[in-house]
Amino acid sequence: MLDYVYTGWGAFWVTMFMFVPFALMAYWVIRRKSLVDTGPTQLQPGEFAPIEGVWLTFAFIFFVVANLASLKFIPWAAASGATDGEAEVQVDFTAKSWSYDISNRQIEAGKPVRFSGRASDTQHGFAVYHPDGRVLFTMLMMPGTAKPTSVVYTFKDPGKYAVRCLEYCGVAHHRMQDELTVVKAN
Amino acid sequence: MSIATTLVKSTPIFGKMFAVDKSTGLEEINAWPALMIMSSFVWLVVAGLLGLVMPATQIFDLSSDHFYTTLTLHGAALTFPFSFQLMMGVGLHRSGGCVGKAITGWLPALAWLSMNLGGAILTVAVLMGLKVSVVVMFPLPLVGAQMGVWSMESVIVGFTGIYLVLSCMILWYPLLVLKMMFFGKKRPELVLSERSLNEPGMLGMLLAAATLLLTGLPLVVVGTTLLLALYKILPMSLAAWAADPVVFQYTFYLFAHNLMEAMALMVASAMYATLPLYLADGSRKLYSEKLANLALWILLVTSVTSGLHHFITFYPNQPAALSYWGNIMSWGTGMGAAISVFTVLATIWQHGLKPEPGIIAVLVGWALYILDGASAIVTSNIAWTYQLHGTMWQSGHFMTVILAMSMMWMGVLYHHYPVLTGRRLDPALGNRYVRMMTVGSFGAAITMLAGGAAGMPRRFADWHPEGWMLYGNLILFFGLILGASFAVYFYNLMKSREISSPMGELATA
Repeated sequence: MLDYVYTGWGAFWVTMFMFVPFALMAYWVIRRKSLVDTGPTQLQPGEFAPIEGVWLTFAFIFFVVANLASLKFIPWAAASGATDGEAEVQVDFTAKSWSYDISNRQIEAGKPVRFSGRASDTQHGFAVYHPDGRVLFTMLMMPGTAKPTSVVYTFKDPGKYAVRCLEYCGVAHHRMQDELTVVKAN
Repeated sequence: MSIATTLVKSTPIFGKMFAVDKSTGLEEINAWPALMIMSSFVWLVVAGLLGLVMPATQIFDLSSDHFYTTLTLHGAALTFPFSFQLMMGVGLHRSGGCVGKAITGWLPALAWLSMNLGGAILTVAVLMGLKVSVVVMFPLPLVGAQMGVWSMESVIVGFTGIYLVLSCMILWYPLLVLKMMFFGKKRPELVLSERSLNEPGMLGMLLAAATLLLTGLPLVVVGTTLLLALYKILPMSLAAWAADPVVFQYTFYLFAHNLMEAMALMVASAMYATLPLYLADGSRKLYSEKLANLALWILLVTSVTSGLHHFITFYPNQPAALSYWGNIMSWGTGMGAAISVFTVLATIWQHGLKPEPGIIAVLVGWALYILDGASAIVTSNIAWTYQLHGTMWQSGHFMTVILAMSMMWMGVLYHHYPVLTGRRLDPALGNRYVRMMTVGSFGAAITMLAGGAAGMPRRFADWHPEGWMLYGNLILFFGLILGASFAVYFYNLMKSREISSPMGELATA
């Protein structure tokens, strides 16, 4: 389940999980206290304190759990597990308006791949899309950095993976695309 | 008569909406805010019309050049001369009436002039060909000129415009707020609703001004250096450090991120100041001022460094430790929001609410801001940002925060309008605006977040691949509803009726 939670759509539903109960509660409170029962509440000021404590504790615990559970999905943390005892395949690329120079466009599934990229003129992105349309990861490159931007990723499914620049880089930004082919491991 | 009053009076259509009331002797706190608010709405109309061009380029398959031109202008007009200027105008009017000091002299004039002249100059630069988006994407302006995509003249003109806009936000406006709060003599006849700096309504305004000034100063240094080099006053060799993309981006986002946070502090303070005025039992008290102040301090402390989340996908150039820090601080702002949620709802539950359109607009804008906050902390998480950074999620977050703040300030304006103009707005039209804006803003926000979740890129002139046009069409649909809600708002301003006692209206609001 966590595999789904820490995807783009997982992010959407977690946002809704935080927002929808709040919105319903706010609507109920505002409607009730402005139209139905506008008189003073029967609750004494001291009686709000436990509700306040429960609410803030719940928010704090939720925030901590959501972030702790995400740790193993952080690319550099995931990479250390994925590369355990297995050599990384190196893919170097240079991004330049408006194309990529990629050292290797054919990758074997199941092998950890280290993508290392630089931008040679302005800021660029390098986002790899799964064939089903979701973003697997994205990278930001700026020109003139000492180190290349780097991500390690292990592809599971064979297929054609679109690469798109997600950092606006000028009038042909939308045409800055490429493709990686993931094949079954030998 | 003040220059500002004259400028408002001589402006067609909008001048009628904001004609300054001179009968109450409050022209000194009414004139410049009225001009700023009026100017912000002129920019809103410009931004709204430009916003239509982006879906039009998709639907009618027009040149992507039009898309990127309007992307830059729409974003810039909506963010700075509309949203910030609206906040500046209403916020100054509020603080003027709270501390009893006139908003006159060269500072408000400079703030208004630099914002609007800067916006106009930037518009000229974009029409000359400069297409760099609202966040400049440095070093794109220089690279585009080197590649011959646009001229170096357009870069110089554009940077001049941006510099003027920034000078308003980083220098003139914060200095004006600080001057009003700490210098000059209070004049009892200008005091409308006296407040101290210990009250959350004033504390938020002070923290916001200090944040803009302090986090913006590095960008002023970088921007001044670059501008002097572009005008050949300084040799490029001496400006090379400022032209380094990493230096520029980090100083830019230190300010740009905190600009949004400062505007959030401002609206939170406006909420804390306005809500008590509409409580059904007339108590005029928040559930807890201490808790409200705590939320503001948490927002301030956590947000200053949370902007590091902008560069998480830049790893290892941004060390992992800084990314974790940005992640944790961003979620820390969520605790500030959780406290403000409790404070606001507990206040309403304790005292009841008079459901007038102004305060309902403020509350709906605040709810939109909570949605935005949830989307913001999610995308600040390292694991999620690797899949969301650069997608429509970020555009949704940015647009939502601008809309939420605008809606809250437009709600607060309902409260200030009778004092500014001596006229009253129609509550039925006000309620219609609130309903339409609620549907339009929440619909557009949720659609953009869903588009981002589906991988739809932001600032991308081709919505056809992967079925993204569905999200584009929905954004257009909700955007049209938003546009219609603004039309209703303007119609209400046009139809406003004179009232005999504007001060009395304020007192009984």
